[in-house]
Amino acid sequence: MKTIRVALAGNPNVGKTSLLNHLAGTNLKVGNWPGVTVEKKEGKVKFWDYEIHLIDLPGIYTLEPLSEDEWVAYNYLTTEKPDLILNVIETPNMERDLLLTVELLELEIPMILVLNMVDEAQKLGIEVREERLSDLLGVRVLKTNARTGEGVKALLPHIVEVFNSKEKPKALRYSKELEEVLQKAMETGQETKAKLIRKLSTEDRFKEYRESLKRIYAKDVYEIVKDERYATAHGIYKEVVIRRSLTARDITDSIDKLLLHPWFGIPIFLLVMFLVFKISFDFSSPFMDWIDGFIKDFLSPLTLQALDAIGVGEIIKRVVAEAIIGGVGFVFTFLPLIAVIYFMLSLLEFSGYLPRIAFLMDRFMHRLGLHGKSLVPLLLGFGCNVPAIVATKTLETKRDKLLVIAMIPFMSCPARLVVFSFFAVIFFKNPATVIFSLYLLGILTALLTAFVLRKTLFRGSLYHFVMELPPYRLPTLRLLLRVVWVYVKDFLYRAGTLIFAASVVIWLLLNLPPGVKNPSESIAGYIGKTISPIFAPLGLDDWRMSTSLIPAFLAREIVLSSMATIYAVESQEDKKEFNALKALKEQGISLLLAFKEAFINLFNPVPTAFEVEEGSVDGLKGIIAKSLSPASGLAFMVFLLLYTSCLGTVAVMWREAGKRFALLFLAYSFAVGWFFGLLAYRIGSLIWST
Amino acid sequence: MKLEEIKPGQEVMILNLSGKEDILEKIKAMGLRKGRKIALIQKVGRNLLLKVDNSRIVISREIAKNIEVQ
Repeated sequence: MKTIRVALAGNPNVGKTSLLNHLAGTNLKVGNWPGVTVEKKEGKVKFWDYEIHLIDLPGIYTLEPLSEDEWVAYNYLTTEKPDLILNVIETPNMERDLLLTVELLELEIPMILVLNMVDEAQKLGIEVREERLSDLLGVRVLKTNARTGEGVKALLPHIVEVFNSKEKPKALRYSKELEEVLQKAMETGQETKAKLIRKLSTEDRFKEYRESLKRIYAKDVYEIVKDERYATAHGIYKEVVIRRSLTARDITDSIDKLLLHPWFGIPIFLLVMFLVFKISFDFSSPFMDWIDGFIKDFLSPLTLQALDAIGVGEIIKRVVAEAIIGGVGFVFTFLPLIAVIYFMLSLLEFSGYLPRIAFLMDRFMHRLGLHGKSLVPLLLGFGCNVPAIVATKTLETKRDKLLVIAMIPFMSCPARLVVFSFFAVIFFKNPATVIFSLYLLGILTALLTAFVLRKTLFRGSLYHFVMELPPYRLPTLRLLLRVVWVYVKDFLYRAGTLIFAASVVIWLLLNLPPGVKNPSESIAGYIGKTISPIFAPLGLDDWRMSTSLIPAFLAREIVLSSMATIYAVESQEDKKEFNALKALKEQGISLLLAFKEAFINLFNPVPTAFEVEEGSVDGLKGIIAKSLSPASGLAFMVFLLLYTSCLGTVAVMWREAGKRFALLFLAYSFAVGWFFGLLAYRIGSLIWST
Repeated sequence: MKLEEIKPGQEVMILNLSGKEDILEKIKAMGLRKGRKIALIQKVGRNLLLKVDNSRIVISREIAKNIEVQ
């Protein structure tokens, strides 16, 4: 089977990603381009006897790279040389898009021109004579609608045919004088036009030629070539596009009148964000509960039963039950939340509203030295830090991106809320005020971190705001679900590898040396005792507190269950008779109930996910109330708020910003958490000492 | 007149883009070129929202200062 490498190239927002989705279906992968923080999307299609490998290049307006993602696209096209370029054009903006087409033609790589959004163009009175266009450039021209998928599959036979016939586009003809000099610069006879232009404008030995051109045109070679490209693009446009002036109003203009309104714009934005959060949490929480129950009441007993039947040793049974099911399974319960957040985020992105948020909010954000585009990831951080960090991909410069990644972990997420509500109720008469203040402290720490970073490591000035606002488009449900699936697959992969490995390590720490009965005798207990002096200034000199932080690195709320174990609270696990069939039936019923509850939540105007459940840890509450003072309780909450005690967050940071950044940030967050914890303890001790 | 000085709703033609910044090349490729007609839709904060042909483009005032229009 032959492989064909196809690159999708085009301006931003022309629908390349949607096109790729329709072409590759579920065989789509997301990852990162090596060495940079730019997202890479690729997919494979089997067609006839070929495997077509599609790569979605970052959107670019010109082959003169500026930002990181533009460099990625440029390097791929010039050094990796795909077998074929699919140049995707947004037909309503054809004149602008043709500039990139001209630059791509200079590379002399076989190409197919895809006229996308033809329906939108027709509504605007733009008609393209595609045969004429095809004749002029010597490339095949096809029409598609990437929103609905119309005409997309028809690309495949053309890709194979162009690949086999090696048909090259017609050579571009620039003006006579320039062409003559380019001919003279030719040495092997095989150079592409792009190569010739680069040689002519950079190499010393062609200085003579440059001077002669400068005498004729009265400008530099660089400027001459640019003007030629613009002129060519304009010429093609005039030749192939017929415009009728229509009086029909553009729907996007009408929607923008409301959504970007100077007064209503921001209240509408706040409402939209509220709905995004409400739906994300309320819709996913019944499913999260269900997965939790499914693992505890079905998967876990079933596996143990199976292991008993095979007759494996006690150790293996415990590794499976506690490390794999307890650790990895726990992370799995977040799957519905992540899926729904991605769904909402993709809806905002594909509909065209996301860039408008950046535009609306930049007026406030830039005063803080932050780019308007930073706001969305920061807000998402209140939902879950993990997708929030992934969402920083929309930022152009590495500086802005790293700055926001360093802020996100201080946005308090629901996992922290679980811990706060447990502790706050023990020690304080007005827990809501305490919890609210903790959220504020998180935001302040984030701003402080950004401030310090801007004054030290990331000194560069704020990047210019240059952005295109795409027209509003309603994405199809199929497209959204496919995008969500791509991210879910990625999450599952990580849960199966990195998170699995970390769970096993932490389990080993808690259970080695062999034969330990009590956590206090394990390695973790030993480490906990060793590090407890570190926490002594915070009023947390009890080794049991410091030891509970070790397993809590998986996710913060684990701190509660691990405390329960370490404080040796009796947990009433009644040995029920396990019947697989009966249990499966029960799980089926509760899944149906979860669906019902999720849809009811959707139409309930009040958010339900934050209702704090009074849990089964009552026994633990009593013990903690006796062994900690309110001041040290507060210190513990502050520490856990700021310290990035979350494997998922560290893992995604590692992937997006690199190993060094992730580890340094972890150490930094520990130090900040410790310092503010100390402050909270001191102040608390003064207030509550009498 | 500078692009920065015109009022929302006004339609103007670009006379000249000056300045040496790389970003100018990008906005030229986005369609903001000599001789093109553009309309200012809105001014918000440090940014201007422009309509260029069928696309909507946001640029900051800093850049608009370098664009001469009529």
